[in-house]
Amino acid sequence: MKGRVALLGLCAVLLALLPLTGDDVLIQYGIDALLFATLAQAWNIIGGFAGYASFGNSSFYGLGTYGTAIAMAQLHLPFWVGLCLGAFLAVVCAVLIGLPILRLRGHYFAIATLGLSATLSAIIANLDISGRNIGLILPLTRNDTMFYELALVLLVAATGTVAWIARSRFGMGLIAIRENEDAAQVMGVNTTLYKVTALVLSAFFTALAGGIHAYWITFIDPASAFDLTLNVRMVIMAMFGGPGTVLGPVIGSFILTFVYQLLASSISTAAALLFGIVIVLAVIFMPRGLWDLAGGLRRLGPRYFLQNIRAHRL
Amino acid sequence: MSADTILEAQGLTMRFLGLVAVNQVSFALARGEILGLIGPNGAGKTTLISLISGTLLPVAGELLFEGRSINGLPPHARAHLGIGRTFQVMKPFPRLSVLENVTVGALFGFGGGEHNRSKAREQARALLDFTGLQHRVDQHADELGGPDRKRLELAKALAMKPKLLLLDEVMAGLTHAEIDEVVEIIKKIRDSGITILVIEHVMRAIRSLSDRIVVLHHGEMIAEGMPDAVLADPRVIEAYLGKRRA
Repeated sequence: MKGRVALLGLCAVLLALLPLTGDDVLIQYGIDALLFATLAQAWNIIGGFAGYASFGNSSFYGLGTYGTAIAMAQLHLPFWVGLCLGAFLAVVCAVLIGLPILRLRGHYFAIATLGLSATLSAIIANLDISGRNIGLILPLTRNDTMFYELALVLLVAATGTVAWIARSRFGMGLIAIRENEDAAQVMGVNTTLYKVTALVLSAFFTALAGGIHAYWITFIDPASAFDLTLNVRMVIMAMFGGPGTVLGPVIGSFILTFVYQLLASSISTAAALLFGIVIVLAVIFMPRGLWDLAGGLRRLGPRYFLQNIRAHRL
Repeated sequence: MSADTILEAQGLTMRFLGLVAVNQVSFALARGEILGLIGPNGAGKTTLISLISGTLLPVAGELLFEGRSINGLPPHARAHLGIGRTFQVMKPFPRLSVLENVTVGALFGFGGGEHNRSKAREQARALLDFTGLQHRVDQHADELGGPDRKRLELAKALAMKPKLLLLDEVMAGLTHAEIDEVVEIIKKIRDSGITILVIEHVMRAIRSLSDRIVVLHHGEMIAEGMPDAVLADPRVIEAYLGKRRA
């Protein structure tokens, strides 16, 4: 266990040293990858541990984005105040939305969260303070190293939180909810409190990632801030890596971001198609993600794939 | 209500869209006793257990646990007070190991449970020995066969350290030998000071276990008393076998 933590610490330090290469493109890819990994990790808390497939996370991202943008562009406040405002809005939204719709289970929950992004996007597009549907321009800061290190700190914080969850009583409660909510509640798990807390934590990290991205990219509008395809990518990356594990979503999103960039730069026209094929193959051969694949291969060897195919009656 | 009454139901009533599942049921459970709850299929037995554990809310009536009303309490709060149950349609945590399944009970049960995960795991391990699942510790719950699933339900509920244990057909589908084992386990549980309400169709088991028996029929309590007397009651025989056409 200690060796593992040390190894991870070493990885984090190595990642932190990457800007020393001075390669601007690499750093920009790095910021993108780190922010996506954070989003996947944040989704993992509500989707992977509690088992509630949230499509509301793009809303939390949008609120984090707009919180930061409004604070900086409209109120002329410092960046960190903007981050706090964005996170605050997202957390409030998670509590207000979570209390009623976390009563819904399975597909119904997913569908209810789907509407959230569109609603918030429409509201934002009609408010003067958020620049209506034209969007907001943030003060320009050319310091990619700072954004890179901020994104890394955020990813480490999110992963540290998930590592704590995985070992805690709270996390066991979330897993019990995912596995069988009826059984969990009669065994003493305060299911409402646990689910809302999980959604709040997820919203918090998602909003911070949105805030960092907004300042980095310097221009936001409702369509890009409340983009549902972003939410779909969070889900795909977390599922690809291994939902409900500590490192799966991070590794999954690093690999998928890398594969996507590789495809996009070599065969740009067919990149999306090939990326789709990668996802389909992953779902067929390793439906529980890379993490389960690693364990399964050690246990069963190639029979692991056969077992998955059989389990899905393909 | 006497001092050693642990649970008292007064006029409990439950309706589903006009169907009266439980109608004006009143009874009391003395601390340390085993109360058998029997009745034909659809009599309202499981509904009654769900009302006590809080997964269903009654349309009328009052529930007192250790002298205090628990009507407004959600299921998890009742678990913290010391009410544990098993499910007739078993609800294991399918992709968790047997040990983890039981650990959840230890982490969250009576008084909020044991907050330390490794201590909770040790308690769970001891209960797996007690219920005869020690050789299944690391298996996933969805890999277990029927009898072991029944044992797992029991172990999960016991891990909560309940004061009152509600058992919903833990013997259904078991062989004679397995039933005898479970009967012995339940007696040991009672001897450790836990009050038990047991639903069972296996008459041999219910007769040997119960201190008293309550009979439900169409949601109404039609008999209550000592096992031999209740099982010989003509109304009870009629409920099970129908009216003799002479």
